[in-house]
Amino acid sequence: METLGFLMDGFAVALAPQNILFALIGAFVGTLIGALPGLGPANGVAILIPLAFSLALPADTAMILLTSVYAGAMYGGRISSILLNIPGDEPAMMTCLDGYPMAQKGKAAEALAISALASFGGGLMGTVGLILLAPMLAKFALSFGPAEYFALFMMAFATLGGITGKNPVKTMVAAILGLMISTVGMDMSTGVQRYTFGVLKLFEGIDFILAIVGLFAITELLLFVEHHMDGLRQQIKVGKLSLKWKEIVALIPTTLRGGFLGFIAGVLPGAGASLGSFIAYTLEKQVIGKKGHFGEGDARGIAAPEAGNNAASSGALVPMLTLGVPGSGTTAVLLAMLISLNVTPGPLMFTQNADIVWGIIAALLLGNFVLLIMNIPMIGIFVKLLSVPTHFLLPVVTMVAFVGIYSISHSTFDLKFMVVFGIAGYIFRKLEVPIVPIILGMLLGPEVEKNLSHALVISDGSWAILWGSPLAISLWAFSIAGLSLPYVIGPLMRMRMQRVKSKTTEADND
Amino acid sequence: MTKIGDRLLGLSLLVLALAYGWGSQQWPAPFGTLETVGPDTFPMLLAFALGITSLYLMFKPDPDNEWPNKRAFFELAIGVVVLFAYAGFIEILGFIATSILALSLLSWRMGAAPKPALLVAAICSIGVYLIFNNLLSLPLPSGIFEVN
Repeated sequence: METLGFLMDGFAVALAPQNILFALIGAFVGTLIGALPGLGPANGVAILIPLAFSLALPADTAMILLTSVYAGAMYGGRISSILLNIPGDEPAMMTCLDGYPMAQKGKAAEALAISALASFGGGLMGTVGLILLAPMLAKFALSFGPAEYFALFMMAFATLGGITGKNPVKTMVAAILGLMISTVGMDMSTGVQRYTFGVLKLFEGIDFILAIVGLFAITELLLFVEHHMDGLRQQIKVGKLSLKWKEIVALIPTTLRGGFLGFIAGVLPGAGASLGSFIAYTLEKQVIGKKGHFGEGDARGIAAPEAGNNAASSGALVPMLTLGVPGSGTTAVLLAMLISLNVTPGPLMFTQNADIVWGIIAALLLGNFVLLIMNIPMIGIFVKLLSVPTHFLLPVVTMVAFVGIYSISHSTFDLKFMVVFGIAGYIFRKLEVPIVPIILGMLLGPEVEKNLSHALVISDGSWAILWGSPLAISLWAFSIAGLSLPYVIGPLMRMRMQRVKSKTTEADND
Repeated sequence: MTKIGDRLLGLSLLVLALAYGWGSQQWPAPFGTLETVGPDTFPMLLAFALGITSLYLMFKPDPDNEWPNKRAFFELAIGVVVLFAYAGFIEILGFIATSILALSLLSWRMGAAPKPALLVAAICSIGVYLIFNNLLSLPLPSGIFEVN
């Protein structure tokens, strides 16, 4: 019942007029970001961080804004999946499978409405799950010592590639590079200048905000410049909505199943929303079996993955808020915002910054209702904006990135530094070195080092303390599993996804 | 398919690991601290880990991705020059002028027709400038359009 009291306090925070305003803006912008192909949720949240920062928003407002964007992006991703057969973001890929065929049959409005309702159901379940699970996990995490934390951070890196990741060694390389960047600047405990080469700008370390914006926004721009991916898009017209109450009720079991699976996939490290929607879709197909017509526009094939990815996105906030260890790119970017607001994420946040945590959670709960309302009557606006060509969109995004970074420091040095990060990001993407572990390394670096030093001081220099407790050992075991599973499961799952995909394209050609 | 990309990456990372590790040994030992944990402990660990992974990449490289052809490389070079120029001139020419130039150039090189590119760039740049300066009171450099 303690939780309920905190939640009420959270509502008090979320319902402050300024916070409601920013939640609305965030939900709208987020849906837009999710809907526009070529602008992923991590990218969208990343370019908003410098803006939230330079507007000097209070911590709770800034976090409510960004989590609303995050939740909105999960809603928005489905729009282009259904209307263009191009997923707006990765988790929306499974929605293409039945959403696009259904739209082709002239039921685009129904497909959009069903997906909005399923997103709502999934998002609500995920948020309730977050409310129940997060305080428990935070209490448990209080028993972690420095050695356990170090092992936990290693697990976060090891599982970040996800079990679909391609080459775990490259994930490790990326994480190490990120950690290395974090060591630039003054050493926290001794005051020694490390890797600053006497450059004054580097004494305070490298600002991860400009690195994040460069690695996302500028890299995306350069990749597009290279490819000119803007082919002709066939957009399907949205007709009049005719959805019977009975049809909605019939989808409730599907939504519940999808939401449950998605939440679990979201909480688990290394899984995330993409896996959530994939599992939800696959299981639904198994449960319904031959009675369904999946791949040809079955409503259940839309509801399951949508419920799954929205539940997973709330689930992914559980490790981020309670342990300070994000499991996905977008939650890593949210963590960056928290750190730059001087809020130390982790179990203590639930007691020291209870207003922020519960404000975010309450805002998510309210946000789901707002998003549902926004996504059924106002769907026309988003549909219109889908036709904005990428060659206008990405330069404008770049401008927003420039404005944001410039407003923080008023330094053209920082802008050039951001461009350098963008170029580096482009080269890494070309070499298939993932970007997110670099960012996570930069964010977690100081904490990783601090916990390592504490552990070594406690043990008087013996490294054995790092695997000295059963908890630490099991965390290490998870890390090893996280690094080795991609070799086993990765190819298998990619093959299945490929098969499902090629089937739908065949169906298209018929 | 060649694998030169990963080999080169591995080699440069190995050089980085050695330099980074060497660098960590150059700092003066901090005064009065125990020798167990110093400012170089964590960097040495990282250098060691990067050394091993870089060797792995050199000996077990993945096949290369498709590298940009000459034309794409030329486009990329233009893009990079525009971005650096945008950063370099923003305070000299002011936000509006540089943004219009940079945005329209980028849109045009990405495949937009020149006229709409210029129009979109102008509307967005002026719009953002007005919003930031007047609504959010976050001043952007006005440069040549400075009104006193």
